[in-house]
Amino acid sequence: MGSPVNRDDIARLATDFYSLLESFKQTPFYHLIFEIFLILTVLWLVCFRKPRPIAKKLTEKEKQELIDEWQPEPLVPPVDTNHPALNVRVLDGIVGKTIEIDGRKSLNFATFNFLNFVGNQRIADKAIQAVQKYGVGSCGPRGFYGTIDIHLELEERLARFFNFEEGIIYSYGFSTIASIIPAYSKRNDILFVDEGIHYAIQKGVEASRSTVKWFRHNDINDLERLLAEQDKHDKKNPKKASTIRRFLIIEGLYMNYGDICPLPRMVELKYKYKYRIFMDESVSFGTIGQTGRGVTEYHNVDRQKIDLISSTLEYSVGSIGGFAVGSSFVIDHQRLSAQGYCFSASLPPLLAAAAIEALNIMDEENSLLFETLMDKSKRLHKKLLDIKGYRVLGEDISPLKHLSLANSLNTIGRLEYIVEFAQTRDITITIARYLNDEHHLPEPSIRLILNVEMTDEELEFLCTVLQEALVKVTA
Amino acid sequence: MNVGIAQGERNPNSSWLNSRGVWLTYIILVFVLHFILLSIPYITTSVAWTLTTTIHNICNYYIFHVVKGAPWETSDQGLARRFTFWEQIDNGIQWTGTRKFLQIVPVVLFFIASFYTQYDKTHFIINLATMLLAVVPKFPIFYGVRLFDINRY
Repeated sequence: MGSPVNRDDIARLATDFYSLLESFKQTPFYHLIFEIFLILTVLWLVCFRKPRPIAKKLTEKEKQELIDEWQPEPLVPPVDTNHPALNVRVLDGIVGKTIEIDGRKSLNFATFNFLNFVGNQRIADKAIQAVQKYGVGSCGPRGFYGTIDIHLELEERLARFFNFEEGIIYSYGFSTIASIIPAYSKRNDILFVDEGIHYAIQKGVEASRSTVKWFRHNDINDLERLLAEQDKHDKKNPKKASTIRRFLIIEGLYMNYGDICPLPRMVELKYKYKYRIFMDESVSFGTIGQTGRGVTEYHNVDRQKIDLISSTLEYSVGSIGGFAVGSSFVIDHQRLSAQGYCFSASLPPLLAAAAIEALNIMDEENSLLFETLMDKSKRLHKKLLDIKGYRVLGEDISPLKHLSLANSLNTIGRLEYIVEFAQTRDITITIARYLNDEHHLPEPSIRLILNVEMTDEELEFLCTVLQEALVKVTA
Repeated sequence: MNVGIAQGERNPNSSWLNSRGVWLTYIILVFVLHFILLSIPYITTSVAWTLTTTIHNICNYYIFHVVKGAPWETSDQGLARRFTFWEQIDNGIQWTGTRKFLQIVPVVLFFIASFYTQYDKTHFIINLATMLLAVVPKFPIFYGVRLFDINRY
């Protein structure tokens, strides 16, 4: 029990309150105005009611009038007959070296069929045998009764091809790299990414939620600058820096530009600034290098220094799916962490069989197939430069080239005209299409893909047609 | 609260503040906080009121505008996951009773605090700052707005 409250205490309370009321009379002017404004706002808020729209009452006659004059909308609204959905071009048969569109055969320079394995009879036979042995589907993800011996065989073959410890396959090329990156790089990690990477890698980088540092396409000086900045930042807080993982995401041969990354310098910087290299060799696997082993062979870099090489089986191998190869320690992590591996059905065995047979072909005829491809690419490059009017983007040994017109002439409209003209002369080429949310939209261009079985005459014909198209479009 | 069943509330966060007695409990809690602060010996009345408004406004800001999603497994398929508590109230309908009440409470606290601090300038600035912190994010034009991408995901 405290001391009894006596009259003095009450008097003191009263004077406290009285003094408060006195100070109310001496409020600063701004405060008073502000409080009045607030009181008015509160009163307005309390009384405010969102106005409800008043429905107008209609008489019977007006209602009948509205009913009488109503016309139903046509089930199919009138549409321009030139709408692309009404003028669909129909493909027939295999999309191999030649492609049959609307009944006319034309040479195919549009699809990523570098080694012409699409339509290869040997591969098709092996795939048919696999269907007879295993059936059509694999009926499950890899972790739940979907692993078949042919998957393990393919993984082992791929690892052996690259001389790595282990390989892992995915059932869809796009989701390969898009699942791999988020499996290793998480929210507080840092990714150093080239600006010119293709869309699947961009999605993987976005899904990882990591901090992304973009450097200009193939500009090693820009990369060094970013690395030096990050290094300076790390030195201020070494404890935090030791918990951050760093990755460099590059492509071997860039799909959007056709040029090869400067790998040796990147590997040097790897040991200086301590990051891991993830290389996506979708386009360079099976096309670059003496034996088709990609950019590491081309640059003569020790492959074990690259932490992970990923690619799709959809371009040169002519199957479906994707894969990644690396050391066991690196690849094994994906078996539980990669979304595209754990939560998708596994590759149908017939496609795995096709991929194994394609690898067999690549392994046996290795000196001729890839050398021929690089040779033809060089020759095509020279021929395209001889046309003088096109800008040819891409390395000379790259079978993927980007053609565009000079400077201000380069519009999609003109390129589409060139493509249509080429189609009338039985050459199928295509414009490289991109989505609206690409990080760095490249210039419009025609993406030319060289098939290894194109003869010299066919290449000459291509260049003749391109020359004629150029004349017509710049006239 | 029936969550995740067919006839249940889709996101209980939208309606629990409309329940019986919640407004009164809210006001009582503010006063309980104030009495706790008053019972600390070296804090004068004016400092106690400023502290009450400050703590109330900061907690208000944090709970209504920083924390996102709902603490239940809701059956709205993650619609509310990116929305703050304030945006979830009444499923986003503006100018409802609860919203008006929650907008008025910091203002009224500001009046009381100004009165008890005898309109002192420092206290005025502190109270004004925290009142703005609590009231401005509640304006309807800020529905769904994330300034500088803070707190976006």
